[in-house]
Amino acid sequence: MDLIAGLIQTAILAGGVLALAALGEVLAERAGVVNLGVEGLMALGAITGIAAVVAVPSPMLGFALALLVGLAVGMVFATATVIVRANQILCGLALTLMGTGVAAMIGKAYSGIPAPATFPPIAIPLLSELPLVGRALFTQNILVYLIYLVLPFCIHHLLFRTRHGLDLRAVGENPAAADAAGIPVRRIRFWYVSVGAAFAAGAGAYLTLAFVPSWSEGVVAGRGWIAVALVIFAGYRPWTAVMAALLFGLITSLGFVGQARNWPIAAPVLSMLPYLGTIALMIVPVLAWQKVRRLMAAPAALGEPYFRDVR
Amino acid sequence: MAIRIQRVPSESLAGGVAARLVAIVLALVVAAIVFAFTGADLGKLGSHVLKSTFGSRFGLMDLGLIMTPLTLTGLAVMIALKVGAWNIGAEGQFCAGAFAATAVALFVPGPNVVVLPLMFVAGALGGMIWILIPTLARAYADVSELITTLLLNFVGVLLIYYVATGPWLDPSGVSFASTARLPHDVPSFWGDVHWGLPLAILLTIAVAAVLNFTRWGYEVRIAGSNPNAARYAAIPFRRHLIVVMLMSGAIAGLAGMLEAAGTAHRLQGGISNNFGYIGIMVAVLARGSAIGVIAGAALMAIILKSGISLQTQGVNISTVLAITGLILFFTALADELSHYRIVRTKEA
Repeated sequence: MDLIAGLIQTAILAGGVLALAALGEVLAERAGVVNLGVEGLMALGAITGIAAVVAVPSPMLGFALALLVGLAVGMVFATATVIVRANQILCGLALTLMGTGVAAMIGKAYSGIPAPATFPPIAIPLLSELPLVGRALFTQNILVYLIYLVLPFCIHHLLFRTRHGLDLRAVGENPAAADAAGIPVRRIRFWYVSVGAAFAAGAGAYLTLAFVPSWSEGVVAGRGWIAVALVIFAGYRPWTAVMAALLFGLITSLGFVGQARNWPIAAPVLSMLPYLGTIALMIVPVLAWQKVRRLMAAPAALGEPYFRDVR
Repeated sequence: MAIRIQRVPSESLAGGVAARLVAIVLALVVAAIVFAFTGADLGKLGSHVLKSTFGSRFGLMDLGLIMTPLTLTGLAVMIALKVGAWNIGAEGQFCAGAFAATAVALFVPGPNVVVLPLMFVAGALGGMIWILIPTLARAYADVSELITTLLLNFVGVLLIYYVATGPWLDPSGVSFASTARLPHDVPSFWGDVHWGLPLAILLTIAVAAVLNFTRWGYEVRIAGSNPNAARYAAIPFRRHLIVVMLMSGAIAGLAGMLEAAGTAHRLQGGISNNFGYIGIMVAVLARGSAIGVIAGAALMAIILKSGISLQTQGVNISTVLAITGLILFFTALADELSHYRIVRTKEA
């Protein structure tokens, strides 16, 4: 039973990184912009978080600074992809290379230092005393509650229950029609891409302030890409994305548990699990449920820059 | 008379190339400014770079050695782009090629003339197998090959790390993260520079010739630029997609084989050295031409070699990755901006 509780606890903690990054990507992609720079943004957020808490031991401050860095870098990315309308795939790959490279450059000085302050777990009274899963579910840090409950609720409400959310989705589905209806296409794309980037950087800070918690080169280890894959798998929906992130967290935690319990599988092989699992989860549902495909389809104008005068 | 900025659907070749050159120079200038801010002596760094690249025989040899895998990974990404597929997984296919070739070298006994060709085949096959699942997933289930190929990079790097530190670890105990020296080498023709370099260049020219001057190449290019048009013209889009993606994987695998058997002479952790990712940059710079791939690989080899040599001057090797990203970013901007031109129009 301890095994299962531990598995769930780690799964939730590990999935939180992916969930936050994926929620940011949901916002950007719903607006029609694919941001492949998540991996780089996470690296930047991760190093910002650790550098901040080494200077001032406040995890909140570190997390907030990472969000700001993400927002700023996201605005540069949005300027390139939404205002200049350069190729989104190239800009995203460039952002991933730059972010990973710059974070590694700065990170040399912080390598291996454990974060002097981290987000402490908060036990929710009564609920955390439930048998079996109580501790696993309700003794988590504050970001976990925020990422798994507050954010998906807010984003779901925004996307599907407000006029503004309808505008946002219209921009991603058919920018020309949205434009004709008077919706400010560029402004919406610009801000949601930037905010999405801030989420990605926040996910990086979560990694170094709540999950690992220290910096080492390659600490992001493809989680940004897994988050991008997860958004597709989740059909661009916030609640589904969070649940999918939890599933991926479970795969990751299986690897951890395996290492901790000395399963007769080599550590590098266990480390492959999240990547192989992601690929399997991208392929299997498409083959298994043909009918779901249309429901889970990407926004129609995803990845396409919008030119008002070109038809 | 009024002046107005107009977007044209396709830019001129000269304009596009000029915009890219400006982008590369700008990116390097930005990098230099950042260096200057961190208190580096630019003059000293610059002279060190020149000395360690063009200034010595060893520098030039290293450039040749680095250019070999970059030419091939660049070619791999470029041909996939021709059919409209993003092979971001050259890094993983590179690892798989190096892995397969090393397996043959270590476990197949025999004379050089037999084993070396087998290693070539194994390298290409390794890369091909590595891209097989992303290829089929894209062709039959429309799963984004960009993400699946990329995710396999991490698996490839872990695989190399696993065998080089575990089952295939050098039994002599000299190293903790590499196999024993491989018993077969790709022969050299100039110092350390092996025949992989001319092979890579010839292969690039040959592939470009096939793409540009054969019916098959024409169909691939049509399929890549407009899948719907291809379908109407009864061009088998799916078949071309699969064949070209497998070729792309094989070429990247070959790069890994040459690196293991020609340059490193062993399989070791970190052998892929971001060659796959920098190959994306090479392919983007190449704009689909063979000369572009070779020139792009030369440029990126100079940058990578500069980064490696500057490590002795306290510059972090990750700088290379950051600068590559910067160049890619400015290139993407330049590509779009070169579509605009200023026209004078008469007032109506």
